[in-house]
Amino acid sequence: MVRWVNKQVAEIAGATAPRALRHVSWIAAVALMWAASSSAGFAQDIVPPVGLHQGEDVVQPIEFPHNIHVEVNKINCMYCHTYARRSKVAGIPPTSKCIGCHKIIATDKPRIQKLTEYWQKGESPKWKKVHDVPDYVHFTHERHLKKLVFDRDYPVEDVKEICAFCHGQLKEMTVAKKVKPLNMGWCVSCHEKNGGPSDCWKCHK
Amino acid sequence: MIGKMKRRDFLKALGLGGTATLVGCDLPTTVTLEEGKEDVVSYLLPEEYAIPGIAVWYASTCTQCTAGCGIHGRVREGRVLKIEGNPEAPINVGKTCQMGQAGLQGHYNPDRITAPMVREGGRLVPTTWEKAQALLSEKVGAKSTLNADRVAWFTGTLSGHQRALVNNHLDAVGSKLHFAHEVVNANVWQAVSRDMLDDPMPRIRLDKAKLILSFGADFLATWVSPVHFAGQYSKFRTAADRGALIQVESKMSMTGGSADLWVAIRPGTEGALALGLANYLVANGVNAAALTAEVRDKIAAYDVQKVAGITGIATAQIERIGKALKARSPSVVLAGASVEGQAQGYESVAAIMLLNVLLGNIGTTIEPSGKFPFPQLEAKSGGTGDLLAFTKAVEQKQLDVVFFYGANPLYSAPAALKLDEQINNIPFKVVLAQFPDETAMHADLVLPVSSYLEDWGTHVAAYQPEQNQMGVQQPLMQKLYGDTRGFGDVVVSLLALRNTAQWGAFTDSYGYLKNVFATMKAGVGAGALSNDEFWNNSLQTGMVKVDAPARKHTLKPVVPNVATNAPDAGFPYYLVPSPRMGLFDGRHANLPWLQESPDQIAKVVWDSWAEIHPSTADKLGIAHGDVIKVESEHGALEVKAYLIKGIHPDAISIPLGQGHTEYGRYAKNRGVNPLKILKRITDAKTGELAMYATRVKVSKTGKQDVIIRLGHSDTQHGRRLARTVSVDVLKRTKGA
Repeated sequence: MVRWVNKQVAEIAGATAPRALRHVSWIAAVALMWAASSSAGFAQDIVPPVGLHQGEDVVQPIEFPHNIHVEVNKINCMYCHTYARRSKVAGIPPTSKCIGCHKIIATDKPRIQKLTEYWQKGESPKWKKVHDVPDYVHFTHERHLKKLVFDRDYPVEDVKEICAFCHGQLKEMTVAKKVKPLNMGWCVSCHEKNGGPSDCWKCHK
Repeated sequence: MIGKMKRRDFLKALGLGGTATLVGCDLPTTVTLEEGKEDVVSYLLPEEYAIPGIAVWYASTCTQCTAGCGIHGRVREGRVLKIEGNPEAPINVGKTCQMGQAGLQGHYNPDRITAPMVREGGRLVPTTWEKAQALLSEKVGAKSTLNADRVAWFTGTLSGHQRALVNNHLDAVGSKLHFAHEVVNANVWQAVSRDMLDDPMPRIRLDKAKLILSFGADFLATWVSPVHFAGQYSKFRTAADRGALIQVESKMSMTGGSADLWVAIRPGTEGALALGLANYLVANGVNAAALTAEVRDKIAAYDVQKVAGITGIATAQIERIGKALKARSPSVVLAGASVEGQAQGYESVAAIMLLNVLLGNIGTTIEPSGKFPFPQLEAKSGGTGDLLAFTKAVEQKQLDVVFFYGANPLYSAPAALKLDEQINNIPFKVVLAQFPDETAMHADLVLPVSSYLEDWGTHVAAYQPEQNQMGVQQPLMQKLYGDTRGFGDVVVSLLALRNTAQWGAFTDSYGYLKNVFATMKAGVGAGALSNDEFWNNSLQTGMVKVDAPARKHTLKPVVPNVATNAPDAGFPYYLVPSPRMGLFDGRHANLPWLQESPDQIAKVVWDSWAEIHPSTADKLGIAHGDVIKVESEHGALEVKAYLIKGIHPDAISIPLGQGHTEYGRYAKNRGVNPLKILKRITDAKTGELAMYATRVKVSKTGKQDVIIRLGHSDTQHGRRLARTVSVDVLKRTKGA
């Protein structure tokens, strides 16, 4: 928390900002620190859902290494899964997004060469779905991110810890694997502990 | 025959027997919660406006019946997922019916034709568009040795630019033969309105009426523009002075089920009742000055006693209706298919329209319609007269090439017309079809057309409400099957075969439509807009609203020569082939949602049945669920008897829609088709097939079967599950 606030302060203060503005910024930063300290311990106020699932290894058209992207390169989950904050589905990134980086990065790797082949054919890889809920369950990424990240001022760069509630630690996986049950009892236990809605119609509509 | 199936066989049939294995789970397109089984494909390049999971609604026009309702389709990830009514559309004001909702199942139907097919060695085999096009060029191209008078189009009701294109094609060929066929139509009503009011489709204002007297007009389900009338009806019902509905018919329809007073009438005697009511009204002081002396004489001959004898309705009941008509003004009197479908159908409808004249309803609840500024786009309303004319032309071998679209005559033509025996008198039959229906399976060339959710078009419904509109139909998603083509695309390519100079420039109907829209805008009062603005507005709203100058009603006297049918001792009962909201005329029998949704009166699902009055059944020794034989001069149907009080004892009703011999997995070989045993009787004035005039006899087969229906029972078996209270008690106790 402190780390995040410091970073914000540093950004807001901006070493190159004009003197007067810098002054104003410091007031803002102090106010922000006060606000943050008054809700101290917010990282602990959410209790992650408990329960595990023994997922199957899924064979994907390209063995996408989540670990390299998340852990080594520190890319935010929502950089690629950009629809998560706007829509009920997180979305598989458009192939153009992959190519945006991999036009130049790691072009000698066989997996990237395979991706480039798809791109040149004008096709997206046929990924296999790993995480799913039945059609009668209306799960929405947007609401969960709002509640668990944005409304709490949770540091967005740490969003992977929130994603991990339901998807497991992707930083430790290559191809995604289902490691949480994603069943109703599991959902409800988290809703109960964290004050999520308990109305049937919230999810079954 | 489920009743005779043992449990073990039943489980086996379900694939739950010991040796049965589940297949299909590993198919790449499967939908499952299992990890790693279902494909999920991302965009190659993201579209700026498309967010996966967020739906966008696009406007279009429904084509599930001919009413032309405006719709919105919910589109997500490039798939149309839900259809709702377009609130901007004056016809349906945001509502849809179950047929409109089920349009998705036609679009995603597993039995769609996905490639052209050509008849080779007696069998239909898949071919390519190139080969189909070459064949068409040989048969109907500019260099073909075509005899112009021997080319025809056979379609359902056609309007808008589809009609204009077909007319263009006929012009290009040099033929005038366009047959339009609809089983469910109001052609006799339209003919009477044209003759008496000089208005083919007057506006009906149920919302302004205090009483509706409907002679078999099922305006809430199948008559003319059901969603529009349902909206008006709700205003009629919720008005401070709640409107009353009296329904007179031989078999209870959905509208009849909603009536305050439902009266069973002997089939074919509705005209006599109308004259009897006119007689009562004149005798009770209603001013008959609007009628000519000749008409007044006619009315005078139908006193209530006589009419009671003809119609089988008690005098007290007739007087009760007469009293209500006199007391509750303005009223509106309607005539539906069961009145039209008699040998004297026109005369009976005219007698019913006279009631409107007598009661002063013309101009109050029956208003002049607007004159659409583009007559070439107005609906060519299909009927059964054109089917008869077509079968005659086929019989006399007058046709060389026929294009079929949006009609299935080999299903709907009665066996008496012998169309299936003679269809091969047409040497080259081209069927533009979405499904392998009966007509498509008899084709020489089948051209697969896009579904209405993938295609372009415009629709000008025959019935136009207060605000005239032309519905615009646009694709809500990409074609599911790349090898299907839009109807307009096919006709444009046919036109290019005849006249390359004029039509070769258009690659598809989109180009054609966009072009003609530019020429239309001034005519609909949108001259100030640029071409693109007008086009985009039309697509965004899904319609072009047109200010059409109202016609003027000029009353012309028509003397209704009402006659009643003589009894037929050999065939004592009338066959009522009743249409219903859902399967309609049979076109929706391949949509499982509509098969599954129960008939509104009998509540039967997925099946055919024959409705018979308990007293008639008693006389014939028939019990509920007995398999009976319903036989006319032209054939017999075996069908389960359904005992119901909502039918006249002289009538046997078999609902329309089932009995397909083709038409995909959900429709094929299910139930019976009552149209097949109809006799060739026509309405004397209009030449329409008298669909409700066929007489039948009924006999037992000795077999029994189970009728599957919702609820299974009409009574609560004394358990008062749904409690009711009479209006009097409610008023007295204030609901306490």
